[in-house]
Amino acid sequence: MTAAPAAVRELMAAFLARDMADGEEIFVGTNLPVIRAAALLAHLHHGPNMRVMVAHTRTNLFRTPVMEHFEVLTDWRAGRWAEAYFNDNEIVVFQKSRRDSVFFVGALQIDPHGNSNLIGLRSDTGRGFRMRGPGAIATTTNASHVRRFYLFVNEHSPRVFVERCDYVSTVGWGAGGADARRRLGLPGGGPRYCVTPLAILDFTEDTKRLRLRSVHPGITVDQVVVATGFPLVVPDRVPETALPTADELDILRRRVDPQGLLRR
Amino acid sequence: MTLRGADEPAERRAVLVGEDGLDQWLGSGMCIALGGLATACHAMVAVRHIIRRNLRDLTVIGSAVGGLDVDLLIGAGCVRKVISPYVGAEALAPIGPFFRAAAERGDIDVWECDEGQYYAGLQAAGMMLPFLPCRGGVGTSYPELNPDLKVFTDPVLGQTLLAVPAIEPDVALVHAAAADVYGNVQFVGTGYADRLLWRAAGRTLVQVERVVSNEEIRRAPERTALLADGVVRAPFGAHPFSSPGFYLEDRTHIREIVEAGRALARAGDRGPFEAYLDRYIRGPETHVDYLEQVGLRRLLSLHEY
Repeated sequence: MTAAPAAVRELMAAFLARDMADGEEIFVGTNLPVIRAAALLAHLHHGPNMRVMVAHTRTNLFRTPVMEHFEVLTDWRAGRWAEAYFNDNEIVVFQKSRRDSVFFVGALQIDPHGNSNLIGLRSDTGRGFRMRGPGAIATTTNASHVRRFYLFVNEHSPRVFVERCDYVSTVGWGAGGADARRRLGLPGGGPRYCVTPLAILDFTEDTKRLRLRSVHPGITVDQVVVATGFPLVVPDRVPETALPTADELDILRRRVDPQGLLRR
Repeated sequence: MTLRGADEPAERRAVLVGEDGLDQWLGSGMCIALGGLATACHAMVAVRHIIRRNLRDLTVIGSAVGGLDVDLLIGAGCVRKVISPYVGAEALAPIGPFFRAAAERGDIDVWECDEGQYYAGLQAAGMMLPFLPCRGGVGTSYPELNPDLKVFTDPVLGQTLLAVPAIEPDVALVHAAAADVYGNVQFVGTGYADRLLWRAAGRTLVQVERVVSNEEIRRAPERTALLADGVVRAPFGAHPFSSPGFYLEDRTHIREIVEAGRALARAGDRGPFEAYLDRYIRGPETHVDYLEQVGLRRLLSLHEY
């Protein structure tokens, strides 16, 4: 029997998983199914020495057949899988221990240099907001320090990819240029990829502008260009995003996401 | 022979506070910090008391991932200013509906910050410093949105950093697993950042699932996380939020709050929220009355295992 073809969210998870290396510290979100799946897939597929952060615990799940899916950040039952448990303030304040962490940043808006906004949309009156977002939570501080981060959005449209963010809550490549973050004094490695339901974007090496890296199966380059609210750098050849391997799909469906959240 | 002066008390003082006694701790215009995190462990006996007494003009320091405890206070009109990097209930309400509506209309002041800046401010208060430096926020819109965050050049290495002023609550309101009558508080779990709130606050009031003996505290003194100035006996006192080791969050009840908030935010209909307040907060005069209103069947269904 052949397995069902990969859903787009399984494809996104597999792309991210391949980019994470053994030994890195990974963050397993509670309400972020693709990010949770990507981190756990990397760990179970090729990362026996990864430090896994789930619902405030630190643990290692390499020999754990299936870990339950927790819907809230504070679910104390995650402690059954934990090797360590830390206070929230320690996790945020002591960034030195996160030098080998990879992190994920969601966004209401993303500009051409990967600066992003979770704060909200600016009001016309100067009072309040046109739309108030969730706020940065800890993304501002974490993205300043972690080894690298990934921008992740569930919508690829001109209202997300904008020439200029109404507010910037997380610095990507600032005003642009490979030394942009060094000039701001930010020690972390910055954003590497931006993962969307249509495509994978990376950054040009010199100016650090968003560039189309691959399109997901069934999506055209033109579709992505039209859905991006600023001129996207498009190379001559744009490949398709690689499908998950049979092995990756097997781990995803059997051990990471037996409920099939990614296929809904 | 006695070593005690004639006018000194002969007994160690218990710090138990009854619900009536909460009026000595809480008043309009105060700056209060609320413990817990997201959908866990908020001091809801105190929060409901604030709404019942109709306190006004509060500055509310929510937890770093503030929950709908903050949202209820905003909806009930108790809040002038919010200091919290987030207000919501994760998937149940990605943004607290009352917070969102009030922030959009400009009805409340929001002291914009991320978690790093938030913790720097609390830590500065605990260290009795005017500010602590913070790197997170350099290059962002935070200094524009929150003029209290000052960009400066550090005098040691010349780096560009943010100065975050001390955030000093008048009182921290915390919910914990257990305490003795003298205020020695122990958590099940880590207690999130409640210990830091205690370090930063002028006074700390802790409501507990169980009041235990001093001997029980002394069996594991290394587990004592903070020393409360007041202890409130409050079984199920974090409801509708979870209390580690005791009960899970009550999602059905949380959804009721969220739906009432959305009716107000989307359709301007205050009816459902007023009905909620009457049924669960203004109607019941005490915590026990509240628990009776929620019902034993519901409360006992929230078990962890």
